Amino acid sequence: MAIARLTNLSYWYPGAPDAALRDVTIDIEGGLTLVAGPSGGGKSTLLRALNGLVPHFHGGRIAGSIEVHGMDVITTPTRRLARTVGFVFQDPELQTVYDAVDREVAFGLENMAMPPTQMADRVEEALRAAGISHLARRSVTTLSGGERQRVAIASALAMRPRLVVLDEPTSQLDPEGAAMVLDATMRLVQQGRAAVIAEHRLDRLLPAAQAHLTVTQGRITTGPPTAPSKPARHTPSQPGALAWSLTGVTATFGNHTVLDAIDAAGHHGEVVALCGPNGGGKTTMLRLIAGAISPTLGKVERRPGRIAYLPQNPTALLHRPTLRAEVAMTLERAGEPDAPELILQQLGLTEVAHRYPRDLSTGERQRAALATVLPGKPAFVLLDEPTRGMDDAARDALIKLVEHLRDTGSAIVLATHDDDLRAALADRVLEVSGGKVTGNVTCKVT
Amino acid sequence: MNARSVAAWSGACLFIVLFTTNPAYKVLVLAAAIATLAAGAGLHRMRGLFKAIALIGAFATALNFVSAHLGRTILFTLPPQIPALGGPYTLEAVAAGLSGGTTVAAAIVAAAPFSLMLASHDVMDALPRALSRTGAAIAASLNLVPSVASSFVQVSEAQRLRGWKPRGPRSWAEVVVPVVLTSVEGSIQLAESMEARGFGSGPRTSLKSARLQQQDWVLVATAAAAVIGFIAGRASEWYPYPALQVPSIEVIPLAACLLLFTPVLTWRSRG
Repeated sequence: MAIARLTNLSYWYPGAPDAALRDVTIDIEGGLTLVAGPSGGGKSTLLRALNGLVPHFHGGRIAGSIEVHGMDVITTPTRRLARTVGFVFQDPELQTVYDAVDREVAFGLENMAMPPTQMADRVEEALRAAGISHLARRSVTTLSGGERQRVAIASALAMRPRLVVLDEPTSQLDPEGAAMVLDATMRLVQQGRAAVIAEHRLDRLLPAAQAHLTVTQGRITTGPPTAPSKPARHTPSQPGALAWSLTGVTATFGNHTVLDAIDAAGHHGEVVALCGPNGGGKTTMLRLIAGAISPTLGKVERRPGRIAYLPQNPTALLHRPTLRAEVAMTLERAGEPDAPELILQQLGLTEVAHRYPRDLSTGERQRAALATVLPGKPAFVLLDEPTRGMDDAARDALIKLVEHLRDTGSAIVLATHDDDLRAALADRVLEVSGGKVTGNVTCKVT
Repeated sequence: MNARSVAAWSGACLFIVLFTTNPAYKVLVLAAAIATLAAGAGLHRMRGLFKAIALIGAFATALNFVSAHLGRTILFTLPPQIPALGGPYTLEAVAAGLSGGTTVAAAIVAAAPFSLMLASHDVMDALPRALSRTGAAIAASLNLVPSVASSFVQVSEAQRLRGWKPRGPRSWAEVVVPVVLTSVEGSIQLAESMEARGFGSGPRTSLKSARLQQQDWVLVATAAAAVIGFIAGRASEWYPYPALQVPSIEVIPLAACLLLFTPVLTWRSRG
């Protein structure tokens, strides 16, 4: 029997002229259902329909019907559906209520008014099921992204839901964290639970999935998705003059030395990739090159020229009324003659140029942030985890743009965990780990 | 540790330090608060607090010294023609300033266990049942504070590199607006997450009981005894003007203040 049944379901967000879901008719059975599709296609909307966040939390118009475990989602409030459908969101930092792991896992049970004597057992059971019993007494703020996301999974499991829904749970995580979360997801399925997961990293999940859905422009097709495309291989560059150098640089925050007497340098027309574990010093190195922070010891030298810096959460920068205005502001400040339309076209954003950038879908926002930071001819391009949360289309657009900037003489440094991105772009790879920098490494992370 | 017993102890400290004008008792309360906090939270976590209370104490003393030109023990005199600062500078004004600074410092240290020794959920658990939903919402919003702070650093740095320069209050909109928008989006997502876990579906329970244990009751009882003893003991008042006097100390108020050291014994394991 189907655990969820959607019949002719259509949904419009408030004020949106086009439907986010169009006439969707599907049955979701037990086991693992994998949801794929481009950013902005409707994956998140579909998942939110399963626990009633669409339409109860988001408002808007809905037509057709949706039942989960025999309950009519359209007439049942999300807070009641919460006992049947567990939900795990993208960003682990934005779904934490309490500051202690065991309390966080118990939050849903507390909302169900479960007696405390039963609650302790349920929390223990959920922590065990998510493979994080050892974290029970930890403070949430001390956990890595992957651990926090597993806490979110345990929080959903504590309510013993019939169905667990995970909305791109690894999109904000490094490869280690993502592996942790995918392991926990596989464990759920092995325990016999029904799970629906939207995910860009399909390799590990594809073999275990019982069903595949692809959501494109609000419409659903069934069957395995096309294999994710690998970006084109690296084309050699012709490095020019020395652009930046760090000599004997030490960076210390409080009592913690992040970089310890490192030496590194890069050239115009060259792409240098930084890899290494989280907290290893990649972001600090980028900030030093950018001049955003000063070294505690040593010397940072950089030739004059405009710096294009993409922070880890670039969409946080967006605030102008239109995307075009956002790009125009960067160009105006840089004193560059280019028209905003050029980069918007390069990134496939012409059609949304006059929209408010924060109203765009996740993938479009990522590209909008790139367009905001990278227009014109920057002398330095410093990118911090540029493909975090990106779909293949956005990544391909980024690669083309970076290649173009490299060929026009920009000195490019990118800190990334993304093996494919490094393979496509990097002339040299530096590993930044334990405060030291090592050159000529492969830095493959599995 | 139970937030209700911590509240009782903090309340007793605050009552005595604000009730009396006698600096001897204020100093005792400050000492009890520092000793308790050192035992419970560890000295290493108090460095910032010590700096803050030293600054506040120095500011209160200096302010009183330059503004209260009262007292008989004149240290030096500035010409009366100097506006605000002119006049005699006295030892009595220093003593009164120190007493005021001690009051503020003791009040801060007495309230510090709430932030240094208790988690936000401990405090929320101690709220009356009718406020449990409000408490959960407050706990959740407190968890957003670190992400707002890191967002501010990240956005201001990125905007600077994008050519932004701080030129007056209006220019800060370039940083503040994106940070606020990001925070609002974060809050909406958190609300969505809480809704998805059944928040607001009815009365709530709590994983951890806020019921007082034996040692909590001991603390509540000693806090109450300290307040009652201090009132009943009729601690003598102190006024530094016109001539400085040594504050007198009575046995019962002294004993009442010493009771405030009780948590040094019971909270020691927290360090």
